[in-house]
Amino acid sequence: MAAQQQRLDAVANDLANANTTGYKHQRVGFRDLVYDQTGRSSAQGVRTGSGAAAVDAGRSFAQGSLQRTDRPLDVALQGEGFLRIRLPDGRDALTRDGGLHIDGAGNLTTSTGSFVQPAIKVPAGTAEDEIAIGADGTVTAAGRRIGRLEIVTVRSQAGLQSAGDNAFVTTATSGPAIAAPRATVLTQGALEASNTDMADAMVEMIESQRSYQLASKAITMADEMMGIANQVKR
Amino acid sequence: MDRGLYIAASGMLAEMARQDLLANDLANASTAGYKSDRATQRSFAEVLLTNTQTGAVVGPVGTGAAITRQATDLSSAPIKETGEPLDFAITGDGFFAVQTAQGTRYTRNGQFAVDAQGRLVSNAGDPVLDANGRTITATNGTVDPRRIGVVALTNPVKQGDSLVTGTPAGAANGTVRSGALEGSGADPARSMVDMIDSMRAFEAGQKVIQAIDETLGKAATQVGSTS
Repeated sequence: MAAQQQRLDAVANDLANANTTGYKHQRVGFRDLVYDQTGRSSAQGVRTGSGAAAVDAGRSFAQGSLQRTDRPLDVALQGEGFLRIRLPDGRDALTRDGGLHIDGAGNLTTSTGSFVQPAIKVPAGTAEDEIAIGADGTVTAAGRRIGRLEIVTVRSQAGLQSAGDNAFVTTATSGPAIAAPRATVLTQGALEASNTDMADAMVEMIESQRSYQLASKAITMADEMMGIANQVKR
Repeated sequence: MDRGLYIAASGMLAEMARQDLLANDLANASTAGYKSDRATQRSFAEVLLTNTQTGAVVGPVGTGAAITRQATDLSSAPIKETGEPLDFAITGDGFFAVQTAQGTRYTRNGQFAVDAQGRLVSNAGDPVLDANGRTITATNGTVDPRRIGVVALTNPVKQGDSLVTGTPAGAANGTVRSGALEGSGADPARSMVDMIDSMRAFEAGQKVIQAIDETLGKAATQVGSTS
């Protein structure tokens, strides 16, 4: 039951983020627990398992659909990869949320205020629609190159740790950030939608709820049997 | 004391053990590649009853029941499409081999990932092996399903953590497909029916004990009373 509860939590989080730009849905796996010798009244070698546990199966990094916004500072990644950013707390992180902004000092930031890495400064007086972002991440303002958005990836995407605000930080299991494959391109004027599939999430929720119910039924049954055993001597 | 009491009690204990197996099946109704268990019950050795006065044989009587064997149902479960590049399912017989700290273990749970070295690992982080017992390196985040080894096992025994131990017996005839997971082999409907069946048998055992208790009570209090 506890394992199913964790899965329900993950599905609920996916559904809540069905409209979050660049959100990647969570996956929960299950494993059975240790088997040991069944108690009295059974022969040697009869072993009973002790239930199930949920395991983190990482996130699904499947491509979300692109939504055209025609805002010059919106970029969407197509293919494997992330934008490199620096979180407000100073940590380096990765994100697929390409809704960029220009802050008061002219720095290019994400919608949550993290600076893109390496930092890109937009010259004062540049209008938003004078900024062009190429498929390889090159940023030009009024025809002049001012920097490049770096597209990176990691060896094991399942090992990335979610840092909130659509950002992921690398861990020992994910490996350090490396250059993304050439096939990954940026599209200006679009955003990547969440890859939560409503239908899948709903089916998973139903399955999870029923499994929960079945487990609770097993508890009721065990309880009734204890009750019967207690009634042996009235 | 009357042997009937002990016979009925042994039946009740066996039903409780069966209930444990069923509850474990239900708890794993969502575990990918899980194989359900069946309990087989057997009666204890029978003894011959003889008439105490004449020595004439009355007939055999059982002395109770016990669970002698739990059999794991290894038949394939339905395969679920997930679309994830690193989910694998075996259609047909066989197991994936994984290198754990305790040695090579086997599993039907194909929910794999790639680790920092680029190797294909199980969801517990243990490297998955190919047909020749070597680790598999992913290219561009994918692995050709034909590269993953499928091993036939003799005497597979479940160990927990979705792992199975056993003696490898060459390559199995199962084929691996990617983007899919094998569902759990636990059938909730069947488990529920078995549970109800088991509970009623348990209840019947309790009634037998009560009936014998009443007869004993009569023997203890009413034999020899004059009123």
